[in-house]
Amino acid sequence: VLTSFQLDELRTAVGADCLITAQNQLQTYECDGLTNFRVMPAAVVLPRTTEAVQEVVRVCARHKISFVSRGAGTGLSGGALPAEGCVVISLARMDRILEVDFANRLVVVEPGVINAHVTQRVTPRGYFYAPDPSSQSVCTIGGNVAENSGGAHCLKYGFTVTHVLALEVVLPSGELVQFGSRALDTPGYDLAGVFVGSEGTLGVTTKITLRIVKRPEVVQTLVAAFATPHAAGQTVSDIIAAGMLPSALEIMDALAIQAAEAAVHAHYPVCGGLLLVELDGSASEVEALMGHVRELCGKNGASEVRVAQSEQERALVWKGRKAAFASMGRISPNYIVQDGVIPRTALPRVLTEIESMATGAGLRVANVFHAGDGNLHPLVLYDRIIPGQEEAALDLSYGILRLCVDSGGSITGEHGVGKEKQEALGYMFSEPDLATMQLVRCAFDPENISNPDKVFPRPRLCGDKPGPYVPHPLETAGIAEIF
Amino acid sequence: MSSPTAWTLEEGSAQIASIVGEEHVRVRGESVVCAPADTAQIAQILQFANASGLAVTPSGSGTKLGWGNPVAADIQLSMTRMNTLREHAWQDMTCTVEAGSAWAAMQAELARRGQMVALDPLWAERATVGGIVAVNDSGVLRLRYGGLRDLIIGMTLVLADGTIAKTGGKVVKNVAGYDLHKLMTGSFGTLGVIAEVHFRLHPLEQRARTWTAVAAHPSFFDAPLRALMDSQMTPSSVQLRVSRQQSALDVRIAGLPHCLDESGVRLKRILEPLELSESSDSVWEARRELFDQEGAIVLKVSLIPSEVCPVLSELPQWTDDRMDCQAVAQANGLLTVALRSTP
Repeated sequence: VLTSFQLDELRTAVGADCLITAQNQLQTYECDGLTNFRVMPAAVVLPRTTEAVQEVVRVCARHKISFVSRGAGTGLSGGALPAEGCVVISLARMDRILEVDFANRLVVVEPGVINAHVTQRVTPRGYFYAPDPSSQSVCTIGGNVAENSGGAHCLKYGFTVTHVLALEVVLPSGELVQFGSRALDTPGYDLAGVFVGSEGTLGVTTKITLRIVKRPEVVQTLVAAFATPHAAGQTVSDIIAAGMLPSALEIMDALAIQAAEAAVHAHYPVCGGLLLVELDGSASEVEALMGHVRELCGKNGASEVRVAQSEQERALVWKGRKAAFASMGRISPNYIVQDGVIPRTALPRVLTEIESMATGAGLRVANVFHAGDGNLHPLVLYDRIIPGQEEAALDLSYGILRLCVDSGGSITGEHGVGKEKQEALGYMFSEPDLATMQLVRCAFDPENISNPDKVFPRPRLCGDKPGPYVPHPLETAGIAEIF
Repeated sequence: MSSPTAWTLEEGSAQIASIVGEEHVRVRGESVVCAPADTAQIAQILQFANASGLAVTPSGSGTKLGWGNPVAADIQLSMTRMNTLREHAWQDMTCTVEAGSAWAAMQAELARRGQMVALDPLWAERATVGGIVAVNDSGVLRLRYGGLRDLIIGMTLVLADGTIAKTGGKVVKNVAGYDLHKLMTGSFGTLGVIAEVHFRLHPLEQRARTWTAVAAHPSFFDAPLRALMDSQMTPSSVQLRVSRQQSALDVRIAGLPHCLDESGVRLKRILEPLELSESSDSVWEARRELFDQEGAIVLKVSLIPSEVCPVLSELPQWTDDRMDCQAVAQANGLLTVALRSTP
């Protein structure tokens, strides 16, 4: 779709070895972790510098070519899905850790740096980078910034946005800007705050200043086996009610345990609801609180309670949990990963409801959740070969999202809206809410070229008014048509 | 856009009275002061003002009106009638509060269930939620719990054209749509009116103790402070108080009662050779005291943490016969400086 002139401009911008146009090579970029959506991009660029990113975006802006930025492509909502005829900007080659400043507890990285590499780099001095999405061994910081990624430990340590101090951003016009700073409370609007989690729709980040955190003296992980996820959930409520703030509180149901066991042999007890509690802090504090957690597990009828005795054992417990999504392949040919949030107190009711919805649809749902913050990951299992089952699974998964919203929650806790949940966003927010968000979108990207047709429920042009159909000014002027 | 309708003060105030009721409108100088009862009334007032080309300033109890540029407002929107804690979902550790609520009144209600919004802003007795959010104020708890951007999970806001928009939600973990509440926090009322705020809550600190070290000059604290911030201790608050005569380092640690003794011992070891003594909670009022000084010019300065001690070490030199200079700095780099001519 790109003219040879436009391709030449892109080649000049990044260099011939950083431009991909061959069909077989483009295929790598046709989807992200949400593999049932696929679109071939017109070209892929792999810039090595901020200047090159800027030059690519300028070319796109000049010719009104859409661009989609991409890290490792592990996103689960289709955020890095190419737009029709777009240029994919892969930031994989911008993978340098530029600076480590222990005195100010921060690091400066390029967007292609892998999440786990940040922690690896600062570990020798006893620090870590707190946000830990399950894909942390491959996913990139740039992608984490776009999605405002969470992870199991955000209950205590917060999300990506908590840890982003400053951003260097190439705006959709090609202009280079700085948001935030190394010091707190930069005068002016918190543009870094709104950029984080904007899913690539406001520009491309090319440099990120992150906080790092001192690793606590002691980390202990407890595994408790319950007959049902409800009993595990009640224990979570009791732990919170006791005024504790564990660093992680995770629940897996029988199906999820079965799959994780098959995949990584985490030696989980066989049960209906597995609770994983992690506490960190000073040795005496953790010991005292762990005693209290054990009591609460006992009170709720735990059949087995054990604390990981070594770092290897602890790592294995987490390996099972973090492999939960991927391991579904062991028990089902196909599955949909969902990501909804509910107020924690709604957990028992929502679980029962999901169960009855699944039974109604004739499907199985495995449940893995960050129970501490009410973030559910229902995995809808199905077999594509059976006619109608994929549609039924999709229906069920969207039904679960509506249930989350109806329960006072959200359609996404950490995976983002992307392509997958555009319509669901319209279920959660009303027209005026969306129109207000759109004002921000248009302030950053008036031409609608930065990851277009994502997040928002229907294609919108800047200047679109909510409510009954009103022709867009560009349409009236005969410059654009709306289909 | 149609040209604004010209209103006399009396006509304008009558229009607004038809929205909020006569008893909630009065004329003060050249502007109309009005107090809406709810979000819908805010929207109606802003619609009217927008159509008439009138400038609006939202305010709470007015504790920080001098912080931004002075505005000649045609309409002053007083948020004080909107002062209800709408919801305290204590088991979910979230709450929803109207923007005109006094901070301390909100905290008192939350404390009944042993919870708090983990922020200690200036003048909590009078300052309102909306005003605190609008200027992005924070206090000494910020080191451990973060600032408002980390504690606000959603908001209802009203744009200048009267559009009522919701952002975020009532759950802590939520990445649906743009975080407009991040834009509103610290926007000084320039983007719209904050009507309601959803907060995430923390358990009240069961027990906390404060230790203080005193020195003749702030430079003595440089190395010990670096050691503390590089340690595995997680104090709730760390501040430096500096005047011409004396400097002090305060550290507050919260935790289980039986663990606090041990924390004290560790703290002493880390801060050696400084001499520590236990002090009262009143030391944490130091920042407010600077603001409350008669005739002082007070500055907020933000530094990178490693610059706190070096900058404060220069400060006693700024004081001379004509000017007195005092400062309170948080270890996170937020510095408050009060300048006053010597009496």
